[in-house]
Amino acid sequence: MLGFVIQRVVQAVVVMLIISILVFVGVYAVGNPIDVLISPDATQLIREQTIKAYGLDQPLWKQYLDFLMRLLQGDFGRSFVYNMPVIDLIFSRLPATIELTLTAVLGATVLGVPLGIYAGYRPDRFLSKMIMGLSIFGFSVPTFWIGLVLIFTFAVTLGWFPAGNRGPTASLWGIEWSFLTGEGLAYLFLPALNLSLFKFAMMVRLARAGTRETMLTDIVKFARASGESEFTILHRHVLRLISIPIVTVFGLELGSTLAFAVVTETIFSWPGVGKLIIDSIATLDRPVMVAYLMLVAFLFIMINLTVDIVYVFLDPRLRHRRS
Amino acid sequence: MKKILLEVEGLSTHFMTRNGVLKAVNDVSFTLHEGEIIGLVGESGSGKSVTGFSILGLVDAPGQIVAGSVRLQGRELIGMAEPELRTVRGREISMVFQDPSTTLNPVLSIGTQMRLALAAHETVSRQAADTRCADVLNKVGIPDAARRLDYFPHQFSGGMRQRVAIAIALLNHPKLIICDEPTTALDVSIQAQILLQMKTLAQDFGTAMIWISHDLSTVSSVASQLLVMYAGRIIESGPARDLLRIPNHPYTHGLLGSLPEHARPGQPLEQIPGQMPSLIDLGSECAFLSRCTKSDSLCHTSPTLRSDGSRRVRCHHPIAGDWH
Ligand SMILES: Nc1ncnc2c1ncn2[C@@H]1O[C@H](COP(=O)(O)OP(=O)(O)O)[C@@H](O)[C@H]1O
Ligand code: SF4
Ligand SMILES: [Mg+2]
Repeated sequence: MLGFVIQRVVQAVVVMLIISILVFVGVYAVGNPIDVLISPDATQLIREQTIKAYGLDQPLWKQYLDFLMRLLQGDFGRSFVYNMPVIDLIFSRLPATIELTLTAVLGATVLGVPLGIYAGYRPDRFLSKMIMGLSIFGFSVPTFWIGLVLIFTFAVTLGWFPAGNRGPTASLWGIEWSFLTGEGLAYLFLPALNLSLFKFAMMVRLARAGTRETMLTDIVKFARASGESEFTILHRHVLRLISIPIVTVFGLELGSTLAFAVVTETIFSWPGVGKLIIDSIATLDRPVMVAYLMLVAFLFIMINLTVDIVYVFLDPRLRHRRS
Repeated sequence: MKKILLEVEGLSTHFMTRNGVLKAVNDVSFTLHEGEIIGLVGESGSGKSVTGFSILGLVDAPGQIVAGSVRLQGRELIGMAEPELRTVRGREISMVFQDPSTTLNPVLSIGTQMRLALAAHETVSRQAADTRCADVLNKVGIPDAARRLDYFPHQFSGGMRQRVAIAIALLNHPKLIICDEPTTALDVSIQAQILLQMKTLAQDFGTAMIWISHDLSTVSSVASQLLVMYAGRIIESGPARDLLRIPNHPYTHGLLGSLPEHARPGQPLEQIPGQMPSLIDLGSECAFLSRCTKSDSLCHTSPTLRSDGSRRVRCHHPIAGDWH
């Protein structure tokens, strides 16, 4: 087990290095930041000073090595646009995104899996058909459209929830969170609902398909022949058996939503990193783009690593193959 | 005379398939006494498993018990409410399936699976449960069981896995175990071992057994009574020794002829030519007609099951005996 973790961590470091090169080269090969940073009527002296200050006169490999060294020291450089350390900039936005994403993905899973199991267990019931209808809806309707409908219905017409922004927050571990205040929760509700609908649809599908398949196996028949109740069978046997694909999708969704909650964040003016990266692309704010992409890659790797470790707990066959 | 444990009478289980009504089990009747081992034999698809599942009330959709009665010590099981039926399953009648690699849950330790089977019927402390599980595992031939409760199914061999399944079936000391070809998926050497052990266990626990098999020679070594099934019906039954010595139905006769020990050296094993008819459109003729060498015009009407007291046969022209 420990050997497996070490092996995966080494892999993660190598992947991060490769990604850092790709990201650095990719981002620095696009556009010319000097045009953005320096007004056309600046003097030659100011021009040169600025280029020097940002290290833009160095060859690309030197810039990369400098970048890597600074990165290892936790220094991601300064934003061209905000003129503040990138790391502070991103971390001022990241909690909002993490909070929104976790609420959406967790909510979708906690609701979607039991409903999906029910729909797979009793596929012919009316309620199951309703659940599947909702899931098809969640799959086929675009997120931005749902977002607009949600704002129009619940914020503009009914006035039950705020239409956008983050609202009041409270501090925990030195970070600001919305979910700690009642009003903050109200602000969180609509964007999280918007973001979770697709994931909910996916979780319902996954749980339903897995349950239908598992219910036909001899495992369930044998448990029934032993006198186990249907509830025991569903939550001790079926849930455990279908949890591996669910954990996989949970991890994937968590990662991709953290990185790409852009649409929802834009519609609801949610001050997360998604909005930040869109702005930084528009202004060619390279340090922000690079740091953001590195962060996303890091998050994906960490999530995948966690998922792999969770697999080992869920599937004893893996545990013994690896130890 | 031992007391009657199970009476199956006129049991019929049909599957309402898209292509029509599949009559998997048709008018099956037999009686089982306490502690008795009865063998249920027939080729694949003859309705043996469905008979077993019908007794437990576990017929898969689109199957349905359409007629008959199953009485356990006088209590009718057919039509019994599900919660009450659940107290019967595992505690009074349990079942062992053919393939242990598909019946045990691969992601739960065998201890967990045994505790679930135990908890289905009584509340016991974790420690008491573990002691009992280890005890039964030892009895079915798993050494060092207390330490191996944390093992997962994949850490056992096929034979050992089947022993675990047998232990789960025995856990609540049922009065009857239905063994649905429990050795078919195992190595030949282990088959005989488990068979013998099951026989001893049944005697020790005073458990009655219905031993299902497609292999007449396997069953005849454990069972005192035999039921021969063909196309969803019992076509012959009686005390194992008599039935093997003098089979009365042409099908049983053919089955005995195809046993390895009846083969003459250098000659290929005799097989009954032909196939079992489809259970969906069974006509009014004898189901064995197309494969029978003794048939005549009488066989175009379905024969009834006739009895001479201890033996039964469903044939117009039984090989021997005095039938009425
Ligand atoms: N779930 C099911 N749906 C439709 N037909 C079934 C089902 N289970 C069993 N059958 C049919 O019932 C008949 C008897 O099957 P079974 O009792 O399993 O035979 P066996 O004697 O080999 O155990 C077979 O024709 C089989 O196709
Ligand atoms: S009834 Fe006729 S066809 Fe059927 S088994 Fe007997 S002799 Fe053969
Ligand atoms: Mg079978």
